[in-house]
Amino acid sequence: MKHRGFRLLAAGSLLLAIVAAAATRPHYGGTLHVCLRAAPTSLDPNQADFAGSHTLFGLVFDTLVKLDSQGRPRPSLASDWRAEPGNQRWHFSLRRGVTFSDGTPLTADMAATSLRVANPTWKVFSMEEAVIIERDSPAADLPAELALPRNSIAKRESGKVLGTGPFVVTEWDPGKKILATAREDYWGGRPFLDSIELELGKSFREQIVLFDLGKAQVIEIAPEQAHRAATEGRRVESSSPIELLALVFSRDPHSAADSKQREILGLSIDRRLLNSVVLQNGGEPAGGLLPGWMTGYEFLFPMEANLMRAQQERAEVPETGVWNLGFDGDDPIERVVAERIVLNARDAGLRLQLATGAADVRLARLPVASLDAQVALAELTAALGVPPTKINGGSVEDLYMAESGVLKSQRVIPLLHLRTAWAVSKTVRNWSAARDGAWRPPDVWLAAEQP
Amino acid sequence: MPGHHPKPVYNARIQDMPLLRAYSFRAVCVWLLIVPAMLVSATDWRTPEAQLARKIAAGTGPGAVALTVTNRSFLSSSETDEVRRGLLTELASLGVHSIGEDQAAATVQVSLSENLQNYVWIAEIHVGNNEPSVVMVTGPRTEPAAEEHSTAPLTIHKALLWTDENRILDVALPTSSPSIMIVLEADSVGLYAVQNGRWQVQQTLAIAHANPWPRDLRGRLILKKDHLFDAYLPGVMCQSTAVAPLALHCRASDDPWPLAADPSPLNAFYAPARNFFTGVLSPGIQKQTATAPFYSAAALPRDKYTLWVFGATDGQIHLLDGMTDQAVAKLGWGSDLAGVRSGCGLGWQVLAASRDNDASDKVQAFEMADRQAVAASAPVEFGGSITALWADSDSTSVIAVAQNSETGRYEASRLSITCSR
Repeated sequence: MKHRGFRLLAAGSLLLAIVAAAATRPHYGGTLHVCLRAAPTSLDPNQADFAGSHTLFGLVFDTLVKLDSQGRPRPSLASDWRAEPGNQRWHFSLRRGVTFSDGTPLTADMAATSLRVANPTWKVFSMEEAVIIERDSPAADLPAELALPRNSIAKRESGKVLGTGPFVVTEWDPGKKILATAREDYWGGRPFLDSIELELGKSFREQIVLFDLGKAQVIEIAPEQAHRAATEGRRVESSSPIELLALVFSRDPHSAADSKQREILGLSIDRRLLNSVVLQNGGEPAGGLLPGWMTGYEFLFPMEANLMRAQQERAEVPETGVWNLGFDGDDPIERVVAERIVLNARDAGLRLQLATGAADVRLARLPVASLDAQVALAELTAALGVPPTKINGGSVEDLYMAESGVLKSQRVIPLLHLRTAWAVSKTVRNWSAARDGAWRPPDVWLAAEQP
Repeated sequence: MPGHHPKPVYNARIQDMPLLRAYSFRAVCVWLLIVPAMLVSATDWRTPEAQLARKIAAGTGPGAVALTVTNRSFLSSSETDEVRRGLLTELASLGVHSIGEDQAAATVQVSLSENLQNYVWIAEIHVGNNEPSVVMVTGPRTEPAAEEHSTAPLTIHKALLWTDENRILDVALPTSSPSIMIVLEADSVGLYAVQNGRWQVQQTLAIAHANPWPRDLRGRLILKKDHLFDAYLPGVMCQSTAVAPLALHCRASDDPWPLAADPSPLNAFYAPARNFFTGVLSPGIQKQTATAPFYSAAALPRDKYTLWVFGATDGQIHLLDGMTDQAVAKLGWGSDLAGVRSGCGLGWQVLAASRDNDASDKVQAFEMADRQAVAASAPVEFGGSITALWADSDSTSVIAVAQNSETGRYEASRLSITCSR
């Protein structure tokens, strides 16, 4: 063996090695400082209906089932489950050795009580070490539904809400601050961090100031700011396009002309320009309610602007009134998007005016609540206030038919799917957002110094 | 319905299965080269092709159609062509033939798309002035095959042994019985044997433990002469029996874990609620009975002593020779390293994990010449984070486990070194 070869290779390799970030095992200890826009005033998972609630409630609570990165149900507090024929009655076997943060062992009866509070219409009861759930109709997606934050297992006692999760809340200033401390006895293994401090209700601008001052290590970044934040040298992590930005009508079309007008509005909006100019490519144009990476069929829904056709169709409808376009005045992006839509509609011969009060049609931002497409669609339609969808089977075709039905109702015009973006300090390790933007604080650890 | 992920098919045990039959080392090598190759199979699109063709034919009826195929997925162009050809063949068998759009009675636009779990193949069927109809089929997405790299002066060979959705802690391949594989996971030890060219589970032995496992769980298998194996986990030690069907006896234990067997036996105490060794050694390296807390260690036997290399929790590398404890910083190595006896170069090398970016780890061989780390091979890339790197029981190879960043699955590979010159 010639040692010269070794030495030559060594020189180059060691040079590379010095600049490389080593693949180090997780370290224990430290406090992670996080900022959020959301300002929940309750830590009861019954109110887990805002963007980022997966991560926040996942600190303190567990669900019977969790979803993996591909949206498949995986065991959490339930170690196993099965459905009886017909998928209406389900048995969930409870994991042994789980305790709430006050040391109380989790029982099937407590889990059943918690689920009854979250779902008053379900029949839920315990049988030995299992939770039994009976639904009125077949519920093939029940395990995925149980992974929603609102179905977290909680123990409600004397005004307190306790969970079985990896952290326990040790300080709580509603709407402002949460300090959560790692549980040594967590059934899934003690988190690497000692604690997490969450500053709530912080605007994007406030968050980035705190980040640049080194007072926060994980902050949210507005989708349209993500590219800029990265080019300024920050480590920015983004989810897949997940949050639906859509126009939602307050009622069903009341006439053929009304229906036609909605079609014209959909044809007039230049989604690609909205995404590239207004949102700085912070999302993707949307034709469907669910993003294409989740369903595989979104391209079947029209999303391209067609001004010529919009103008032709406009010529076929009689003169119409003015639609009030509602938007969230506290959201700078919604205002700019709304203004752009008014201009697009005007080009097609429609009249829209911005309104912060009562509106005929409003801009809505809705997080896709689950990586399970069927559950996500059901949650989206409920949040949009459109009639619930009936999905007749478990296939992609069935899902497509159901989503097509919602879109044909003309209650909603999808515009964009926005990414969730975070700026993350370089000392924060093992931070990875799932495709839906959720991240797992128990797996995060802090390096002593930047790589 | 099993509830969650499909469990391995439990086969009946082969009666009188000879667990400890004697095979030569050459036979082991042959098996280790052949078996991983048998695990890799080509993608078979025939089923979804036939399903989609049937749905298309039901929409168009027999006759001439204009068919276009658009790839909206991560399929390669050659795979797309393969699917297109397969689809045309299936359609022809149903009496549907593809011709130019001018002469066709119907047009069919096929899109090869995908979602989180499956390929989604969609056909939009346009017949006359009717509203277009849409049909779909789904097919399972495949995973990329393992790669092997070779670069002078030493070459690391990477052979994929096993993949699993659950975290794999260690894998052992008894040299005395190459058709047996032992897989250590958090709650069980799986015993596999090759049947019909594939590893099939023979036994699953539960690991009993009273306390929750720590996060970043680690565990190690040690093959034994008087019984099949010992399994070391944080605060727990398990011992198998010798003869099939095996039994596994686990107990709470603070016994030190073996770091290396002959010729340099050394044990170290593992912190039961954490992911590192405390630094206390047993019986010690000559007079040295402690070092800094560490994640991993590699033995490099020399003529008159053994140089021990420790990957400490503070990021430094500690070199112990029985007399001195020398700390070396900024080598760029990660937490995981293992010693391997290749017979090349200085005889023993350190395999060390490192990372160039946030997504993927690599392993590279180093010689420790004059206590300087000298790179001795090109790095071997892994498609994700390395979660375990253990020398096997006779230190002739290293078991590496990585979590694939694309699929999330754990992939256990055997790393061995060959001399390139």
